[in-house]
Amino acid sequence: MIHMKNVSKAYPNKVIALERVNVDINKGEFVFIVGSSGAGKSTFIKLLLREELPTFGEIEVNGKDVVHMSQSEVPYLRRGLGVIFQDYRLLPDKTVFENVAFAMQVIEAPRKIMQKSVNSVLDIVGLSDRYKDFPDNLSGGEQQRVAIARAIVNDPAIVIADEPTGNLDPDTSWGIMQIFQRINDAGTTIVMATHDKAIVDGMKKRVIEIESGHVIRDQARGYY
Amino acid sequence: MKLRTTEYFLRESLVSIGRNSWMASASVGTVAVSLFVLGVFLLLVLNMNRAASIVESQVQIAVYLRDDMDIGAIRWVGSEIQKIDGINSIEFVSKDVAIERLRSRLGDQSYLLDALEENPLPNGFNVTMREARLVPATAEKISKIDGVTEAKYGQDVVENLFDITQMIRVFGLCLMLTLAGATIFIISNTIRLTIFARRKEIAIMKYVGATDEFIRLPFVIQGVILGFIGGMISAIALSYFYSVVSEKIFDSLKFFPLLPQDPYMKFIGILIIVFGMIIGAAGSTISLKKFLEV
Repeated sequence: MIHMKNVSKAYPNKVIALERVNVDINKGEFVFIVGSSGAGKSTFIKLLLREELPTFGEIEVNGKDVVHMSQSEVPYLRRGLGVIFQDYRLLPDKTVFENVAFAMQVIEAPRKIMQKSVNSVLDIVGLSDRYKDFPDNLSGGEQQRVAIARAIVNDPAIVIADEPTGNLDPDTSWGIMQIFQRINDAGTTIVMATHDKAIVDGMKKRVIEIESGHVIRDQARGYY
Repeated sequence: MKLRTTEYFLRESLVSIGRNSWMASASVGTVAVSLFVLGVFLLLVLNMNRAASIVESQVQIAVYLRDDMDIGAIRWVGSEIQKIDGINSIEFVSKDVAIERLRSRLGDQSYLLDALEENPLPNGFNVTMREARLVPATAEKISKIDGVTEAKYGQDVVENLFDITQMIRVFGLCLMLTLAGATIFIISNTIRLTIFARRKEIAIMKYVGATDEFIRLPFVIQGVILGFIGGMISAIALSYFYSVVSEKIFDSLKFFPLLPQDPYMKFIGILIIVFGMIIGAAGSTISLKKFLEV
């Protein structure tokens, strides 16, 4: 599902964010990427989304060669990925329903399917009754659930989350993690960058630790 | 493209204009003012060009013949002149016709000619060319034909005229290109502000897999709509401006060959509107470029 071979990334300011990283993630896995701030977690995520290109190495995501694809193929790579950020990134002038539907609208999904899919994912994240609300009327946890609904509405093979619980209190974070677990149980691969120790220790999933750009630990059912 | 997507684009463009109505008004105003200035210069250049062309087309070569030539020899010279490329018209002016013309030109002072014992003017031809730039070379050729004593065309005047008309054309073109560039720059900056307000939305669109065309199109349509409205305002203002100005010019300078309002103002109006739409589209495209790099 995700295949990184000898991947290095140096930024123009000569900061080496990743060095000779080799990682394979299979279909249906739930993987935490952990490490201190500036360790290279965000770069790892950006490379998967093709927001950045590696300086060296090969990256394959969802069967697509991320490094050699043309710019026009990038949208089609991203349609197979659901992305979630720490700051939710919802559109404040759109309702919950519209925010989720937006992800289907931009890939020109048929309206009938759109209605059904949005209702179904709002049900999964437990916000069916809030579909008319605007993001500003929701709590942080609820906003993140809308963001999750938006990420999974196009039924992506992989969900990539960058610190999704970073702005949430522990109880709310656990609620969010249960949603991720349900998504994973349905067969979706999940890659989550986090430095929330309690969550990583509690979930007992595969843990990849990055430190100063190197993978220093790759452990099944690992701890923080 | 699906019908529903087209609907989406149009709705998004109109919603965006409505949401940023101040910015939209500023864009329309900028397009209108810039295109108006551009239009005024266009009219100026077209009119000067027309005046120059008319003056140029009136440049004649006066060909003078030797006095001892019989009618056969004169005809032969006429046919030789006609063989030269680019001749528009050739008119034989006998010495009798020439003195009559001189007499009428002198008007009240024509009595001066009565003192002459015989007609001193030679037989000749008046030659006009299809293109004024051919005049000097043609005059040179004609002067070499046997029996021709002189082929004159007012060398200094013509050469200066060519320089001036050429300068007007080059200057006009440069001026309009500069103005067009400046207009696109102003529009792209104005539209950039509306795009900046929606940069988060654009970034989200990129993350969920929208193609660049899908993101760009509503903004381009928005630019085209704003350009169209600005162009319309400018075309109407320009038409009014030209009718007022041409009336004033006609009152004081009747002989000045102004471009007639109909159909030229229609053409210029359409040109300005189309150009406004192109500028709007170009402005949006240019200002979006940076925001699409996610």
